[in-house]
Amino acid sequence: MSIVLEHLSKRLSGSLVVDDVSLEIASGELFVLLGASGSGKSTILRLVAGLVEPDGGRIVLDGRDVTAQPPQQRGTGFVFQNYSIFRHMSVAQNVEFGLRIRRQPRGERARRRDELLELVGLSGYAARYPEELSGGQQQRVALARALAYRPSVLLLDEPFGALDVKIRAQLRRKLREIQRSLALTMILVTHDQEEAFEVADRVGVIERGRLLEVGSARELYARPHALYVGTFLGASNVLVGRVRQGRGCFGPLELPIPAHLPHPEGGLVQLLFRPEDVQLGEKEPASGSIILGCGRVAEHSFTGASLRVRLRLPLLPGTRQIAPVPGFGEEVLLVDALFPADAGLPTGEVWVSLRAWHILEPQRLRLLLASTPRAPAAGVVLSGTLAKRLDAHVTVLAIGRDARAAATLAARVEAGLQDAGGTPPQVLVHAGDRFKEILNRQAEAPHDLVILDDRRESRGRRLGSGLWPFLERVTVPVLIARGARDTLERLLICIATGEPGKSDVRVGGRLAQFLGAHVTLLHVLREGQPGETERAHLERAMDTFRALGVTAHLRFRVAPSPAEGILSEARERDPDLIVIGSHRPSTRVLFGADNITMQVLARAESPVLVVPLDADL
Amino acid sequence: MRRRGLWNPLVPTSPFPPAMLFLVILPLLLLPLLAVFIYAFHGGTGTFLDVLRSPDAQFALRFSLLMAFATAVVNSLLGTFAAYVLSKYEFAGKKPLSIVVNLPVAIPTVVVGTSLLLLWGPIGLLGRLLQPLGLQPMFTPVGVLLAHVFVTFPYMLGSVKPVLDELEATYEEAAYTMGASRWQTFRFVILPALRGGLFTGTLLSFAHSIGEFGATAMVSGNLRLRTQTAPLYIFAQFEAGNIAAANAVAAVLALLSFTIFYLLQSYTARRGRS
Repeated sequence: MSIVLEHLSKRLSGSLVVDDVSLEIASGELFVLLGASGSGKSTILRLVAGLVEPDGGRIVLDGRDVTAQPPQQRGTGFVFQNYSIFRHMSVAQNVEFGLRIRRQPRGERARRRDELLELVGLSGYAARYPEELSGGQQQRVALARALAYRPSVLLLDEPFGALDVKIRAQLRRKLREIQRSLALTMILVTHDQEEAFEVADRVGVIERGRLLEVGSARELYARPHALYVGTFLGASNVLVGRVRQGRGCFGPLELPIPAHLPHPEGGLVQLLFRPEDVQLGEKEPASGSIILGCGRVAEHSFTGASLRVRLRLPLLPGTRQIAPVPGFGEEVLLVDALFPADAGLPTGEVWVSLRAWHILEPQRLRLLLASTPRAPAAGVVLSGTLAKRLDAHVTVLAIGRDARAAATLAARVEAGLQDAGGTPPQVLVHAGDRFKEILNRQAEAPHDLVILDDRRESRGRRLGSGLWPFLERVTVPVLIARGARDTLERLLICIATGEPGKSDVRVGGRLAQFLGAHVTLLHVLREGQPGETERAHLERAMDTFRALGVTAHLRFRVAPSPAEGILSEARERDPDLIVIGSHRPSTRVLFGADNITMQVLARAESPVLVVPLDADL
Repeated sequence: MRRRGLWNPLVPTSPFPPAMLFLVILPLLLLPLLAVFIYAFHGGTGTFLDVLRSPDAQFALRFSLLMAFATAVVNSLLGTFAAYVLSKYEFAGKKPLSIVVNLPVAIPTVVVGTSLLLLWGPIGLLGRLLQPLGLQPMFTPVGVLLAHVFVTFPYMLGSVKPVLDELEATYEEAAYTMGASRWQTFRFVILPALRGGLFTGTLLSFAHSIGEFGATAMVSGNLRLRTQTAPLYIFAQFEAGNIAAANAVAAVLALLSFTIFYLLQSYTARRGRS
């Protein structure tokens, strides 16, 4: 009884909860869908059972296309997290329910019921009522009830979620035993990695409605492709380095990149290693070992079977850490390690090296280009350039007054992007308000950077009144494209916008690093010389650029207002991109005249990148 | 002296507030009820029974019981259906509709009676069209039933709908996956779960119907031996100065209400325990 899902998709209240999921489950296989809550895994299960209708795709059970069939005709067994045992019926009546609906004779029903109650270890409970049973017993009744009419497949939605740990382990074993003995085809949905690994023949990891990876527990744990899979399945350490001469460079550490994972030269590369693969040594390990450095124990905890240790090492230059998440402003490398419980804790400095490691598949930046029919050219050129230089993936959001206008626009933008080179974009067509559509899309599948066309309606009101509320709500950098520039070599980063932000420097610096661009860091003064704290702050910003390997110079300018200063600087130097921070709603200035970001946006001739507080790239 | 170990600072021990409450409740609630029974037997048990045996009183009591029974039956069907639709279906105008169906509790019953007359009466909006066909719901038992259903409908809905709302969708879904049709699911899964709500709703409808006065007075025409309910009888006898007759029937009504109230109380108490 095989299960085949082909390009399944489902939208619930506007957001995509199941996104193009294809999957084949063999007869007699126990497949586990693993994902965080809200990832769409339960919806997939409900789609298979027919409790939810798909928006697209096909469901084939045992060679029979059931996509259009109601749940009654699909013959699936479904076990719910809340058991859903009928409270007014006895255990026997519950188990016999499916058979009674199928009008099976009384004797047959009783025989099958006894057989199943014995299978789940509840013989002698037939006359009891649900309120007399414990949670674990109720769930076993639910299992017997779902098996009674010999369903083609059994679907379990977090079946052990509401039970305590000991009962859970016991029921898992029971379930596995039953599944084996009856050779059932089963899909089990869970958020518990341990549960998934324990019972599954194969595991599929779901994130935001997308099936990221499928494989055996062992495969997924040892050799995950996606960062999400690597970090979701068990504890992990993840570092981001750069590709140089075909090798992954993490500071002094150089690791070969596997041939099946081609990384672009100069791009980012992610290294994953498990805590149990970290080893410590008093002496410097022999050359050829993979050495992370020399560090000390920062924290440790005893878990019974093992000893969890967090080590603090000096930062590897040019490397960013993703997991474990470093504390704010911590300029160290944190490494999680796992040892047998009886291992002694080192007291002084120790050498930290790796027994095994793994390179993850390259992660590409995702750009969202929102085009409107009026002036799509600038955005297309800029997106094309960025996509090529950053090796980014572009999603085109074509927004027209109606569906037809949007479709024509989509075709034009797509053609323009393909001319500019790079991989073919994903195209989405929408009719409606573009700012609302962008925010919707961001909620569904986050992109790293949003690119907007400047519409140039009339002077001062080029972008329409919806822009400022949009900038207040968006959490990623927004690039407002203007002119038909395809060079991005000189960046003007302005940190004169009220509260000097950190995110504008960080995002601008990263962009300059990707593009190999030169940065001018502009600070506008009312008069005279910058004060002590301002200087210190600017020096820290310059440090950030240095650490990223970006060439930068600092520039002061005296002007009556910050916006005047930025605009006259931009007029003189004509930068390829102006980078400017954006206020939070709480610090929002009520009078438009005081809004520096909007003034620069309204009057500058160069493209502008608006960086919200706390944004990253 | 109080034993310190048992003294709970959160429980006040002064006897005065309970005594005051008792003094207020006594003339407000308890004494009037007592008075009904005292006056009912004022002329002795013989008079009491004589009054009850009179054809008018007999009819009024029987008619009231019949109406209450019919109201409860109609309402349990209509109320369950309304609750099911309002709870399970999504449709335009659902919100205003769920407000409208609860409106009868807020409208004075006399107004209900008036509006029914204006709709179904001989010169009413619909009544005018029915009149030539010889159909005339007002001033007949049908009119009384209409008024009672109208007035008690929210009580049934209010008892059934919360149960349906709280019944998780997974119970229905479980039945569907096991092959049960929508009707079978309703019959075997939903309806049994509604038993408690239906019981409460029926008793409430019954109780309110038995005591209904305002709307009934308007639509029944107060025709003795044809549409006179027990409350109307009591009022009519009282006005005619026939206090003993009024009191006897009032005592029976009070007794009926006590019984229903007791059933409701013991049912909720039992539910609360399990």
